[in-house]
Amino acid sequence: MEALAGYLKNIVQTVTTIFEGMAITFSHLVRRPMTIQYPDRIEKPVQETLPLRYRGILEVDLDICTGCLACERVCPISCITIGIDTNKETKQRFFSHFDIDICKCMYCGLCAEACPTGSIRHSQEFEGACYNPAGLVRHFVTKPVPLYKPKKGGETDPQMALKVEIGQKYLDEFATPEKSGGAGAEEG
Amino acid sequence: MNETHLDTQDIFRTEDMTISMGPQHPSTHGVLRFIVKTDGEVMREAVPDVGYLHRSIEKIGEKVTWHGFVPYTDRADYLAAMFANQGFCMAAEKLGHVEVTRRGEFCRVIACELNRIASHLISVGTFGQDIGAVTPFLHALRERESINDLMEQICGARLTYNYIRIGGVGYDITRATCDRIAAFLDHFEPIVDEYNRLLSYNKIFIERLAHVAPITLEDALQYNLVGPNLRACGLKWDIRRDIPYSVYPELEFDVPVGLGEKGTLGDCYDRYWVRVREMQESCKILRQCLKMLPDGPAIAKVPRRFKPPAGEVYVRVESARGDMGFYVVSDGSEYPYRVRIRTGSFTAMSIIEKISRGLMVADLIALIASLDVDAPEIDR
Amino acid sequence: MQGFVDQLIQEGYFSGAPRALVYAAAMLAVAFAVLSFFVAPLAGITSWLERRVWARMQSRVGPNRVGPQGILQWLADGIKNLLKEDIIPATADKWLFALAPYVVFVGFFATFVVIPFAGHLIVADLNIGILYLLAVTSLVVVGILMAGWSSNNKWSLLGGMRSAAQIVSYEIPAGLAVLNIVLIAGTLSMQGIIKNQGWAPWDWYLFYNPFTFVAFFLYFTAALAEGNRTPFDIPEAESELVAGYVTEYSGMRFLFFFFAEWGNLYVIGAVATTLFLGGWQIPAIPYVTESVVLTTLLQFIVFFLKAYLWVFVAMWVRATLPRVRVDQLMSLCWKYMVPLSFVCLLGTAVWMLIWPEGNRVVSFGMFLLGLLILALFFMRVNYQIRHARPELYLKPYV
Repeated sequence: MEALAGYLKNIVQTVTTIFEGMAITFSHLVRRPMTIQYPDRIEKPVQETLPLRYRGILEVDLDICTGCLACERVCPISCITIGIDTNKETKQRFFSHFDIDICKCMYCGLCAEACPTGSIRHSQEFEGACYNPAGLVRHFVTKPVPLYKPKKGGETDPQMALKVEIGQKYLDEFATPEKSGGAGAEEG
Repeated sequence: MNETHLDTQDIFRTEDMTISMGPQHPSTHGVLRFIVKTDGEVMREAVPDVGYLHRSIEKIGEKVTWHGFVPYTDRADYLAAMFANQGFCMAAEKLGHVEVTRRGEFCRVIACELNRIASHLISVGTFGQDIGAVTPFLHALRERESINDLMEQICGARLTYNYIRIGGVGYDITRATCDRIAAFLDHFEPIVDEYNRLLSYNKIFIERLAHVAPITLEDALQYNLVGPNLRACGLKWDIRRDIPYSVYPELEFDVPVGLGEKGTLGDCYDRYWVRVREMQESCKILRQCLKMLPDGPAIAKVPRRFKPPAGEVYVRVESARGDMGFYVVSDGSEYPYRVRIRTGSFTAMSIIEKISRGLMVADLIALIASLDVDAPEIDR
Repeated sequence: MQGFVDQLIQEGYFSGAPRALVYAAAMLAVAFAVLSFFVAPLAGITSWLERRVWARMQSRVGPNRVGPQGILQWLADGIKNLLKEDIIPATADKWLFALAPYVVFVGFFATFVVIPFAGHLIVADLNIGILYLLAVTSLVVVGILMAGWSSNNKWSLLGGMRSAAQIVSYEIPAGLAVLNIVLIAGTLSMQGIIKNQGWAPWDWYLFYNPFTFVAFFLYFTAALAEGNRTPFDIPEAESELVAGYVTEYSGMRFLFFFFAEWGNLYVIGAVATTLFLGGWQIPAIPYVTESVVLTTLLQFIVFFLKAYLWVFVAMWVRATLPRVRVDQLMSLCWKYMVPLSFVCLLGTAVWMLIWPEGNRVVSFGMFLLGLLILALFFMRVNYQIRHARPELYLKPYV
């Protein structure tokens, strides 16, 4: 008798749980799908929907780079290589090259945190596909660029001031929790 | 089924078939390989063969700076990267006598518990996938996507976070993010119930898992199972509760253990069910954390050239796959002298050889899925 | 069919050609027409629809790029598979390996001989129709076994063996469930069975008595198992056996297996419709049913919709249920389904003894019960949509 009860219970359980499961899957049939149809069928580019903290492909604003090499030193994977030369006549130091190997970069964000002016930062860009791995090495120096020297009492050139401000904003907003004195706040 | 099998064995002596299951097999969670000896559908033995995903993370640890190694720990277990971050940072903090800020600790717990839910969703979802139900897998991934979005907002990355740093966390959790986490929890808690009704209570699913591959507590302790796998055997052992770290002592949460309600204690269903309930516990922890989140700095002042004094330390964190240990030796230089990571999946692999005898091929899949082994974590 | 060809010969077409040759040519032409204009698009669109339905149930979108809503996806897939390299493993048994997909396909395609499309549209209304159908579908197992053996791959072999065990076992409950209807209808002919039913749901054999109601679900379950569909897709079992018996197949041969699988879904639905759901029966509508063409068209649509409903249910089941294990599959068959089908058969026989003409009151009651179950189901769906999930999807940024 007990065996029969168990037998019938098995049948009833199977039928009812399948019934319930079918109701759930059916309810999903009339719901909106979750898929974001990247890349073409979206309302706006994904890049614009990403949060400010998103760690995309690195970009460098050489105009406000002081050439302190903090990023090169802190990079755990050595994907940043910076060359600084000195002009023999004017004694002015300038970048001979500033390369970031996107192939190697692991988007850890340590370099952006170490930067004192916010010149190296993560962009919202993440589409880096190209046919040749060499194309993934980003050369930021096309012609020799002099190093940036922060002026005392603020920047006077409005164009430069804007750039400095952008860099500073980057640092403030996410790279370094400034008020809390983060790992990148000071050189130890 | 096993008894009848043994009876016929004496009459028909048939040749065993050796099958190499993996490394390119759909349900070996990464790149695992099992050398399976079967007699038809019934397995004689399944010997795991590890090492296909070895990336020498421990050796790399000796070559990069203390701060620089944190992103590498992400890769140790990429489904639950936060815990490896935290483990290594805790080890470095203990060596360097760094006090973590209080807000930093709460941020860590929030991030970790979110990550635990994400990891368990993968585990539970792929479980359904391995048993043959594809829909629960995608439903689980859909929810995980929301967590990934939250993570992206917290720390800017979706998988390899590099969020927890020595001394605290890299980025503070903003008020807006807190609200979104709360909204996610409101949305997620009913979904666990829906998920249960779709998969966990399904008779076929229960039949596939109950009484399958039970692990006794004795075996579990001898083979050093940890985390949900150990708790499913009935032992209430959770690093968060028993060797407390961070702010876990201040939080109230339950440690779910296996009860053997659908079958025997410690079977595949128990391991599955412990994970589902752990997600609910994580939700509870998250709600408390959001309420208790104090003001203050998110990270303590730590020198960029972090040079902890010479010494050695072993710290344990409760990862999504159980006890994750970091044994770190410092010689007082800028680089760790030795980093050793002890992970739950590796020990879970060793028990498969013992448990799998006499199971069917389909049960092996369920066993692997229920142990929630994760190839990157096994090989590191 | 034969009458039509005879008429053509009498009217002077094909003059001079031997009569047998004309018959053979006509048969080939019909087979070709059915294959290219009905079965191939049907299987293709079923494959597309399955992917779409599946995707929507999983909160995805599914193929929606080729053609409007992706409806031409099957053509793209077919062309792709045609252009693929046809790989035969070096150690495979080449003859069997090459032959197996066609055996499977023939086993499936031969069923279209007896499947009715409308009142007069049937290739051959054999007087042993349903028996023929059960017989030719068994041919599939030979093909699958050939594929599993000849691939010389252990996963394929396991898949083939599982499939053989499964299909042979599930023939029994399927056959017994069918026997219920044969008992009531007193004929094996497909058209004869349909003609014995009416257009109204309470005239269907599904609601004839409680036993046929159960027998219907037994038949559907067993047919899913014979068609290697989830929850009984253990011969393919992608998480266990990689791809089962099709592991080594590629290109067009691979496609033939899936052609057969998706086409077979329609066969399942059509047989279920014929036996239990009143087939192409339509009520007498003034003016419409006086025209033969319109009647045939309407009958075709009714039959097709009924059959396709069960194709949809099969897709839906596949999206919901996990897979059973091989020993559970056997115990489900022999311990649950076979005894239950015997009970049903016995019950129907006794019922026939008591009410030889059927019991209209019970039929109507069964129909109401069916409606009740449907209503219950939609209540659950409603609960699911309105209450179980307060918020649909959380999208932090979008």
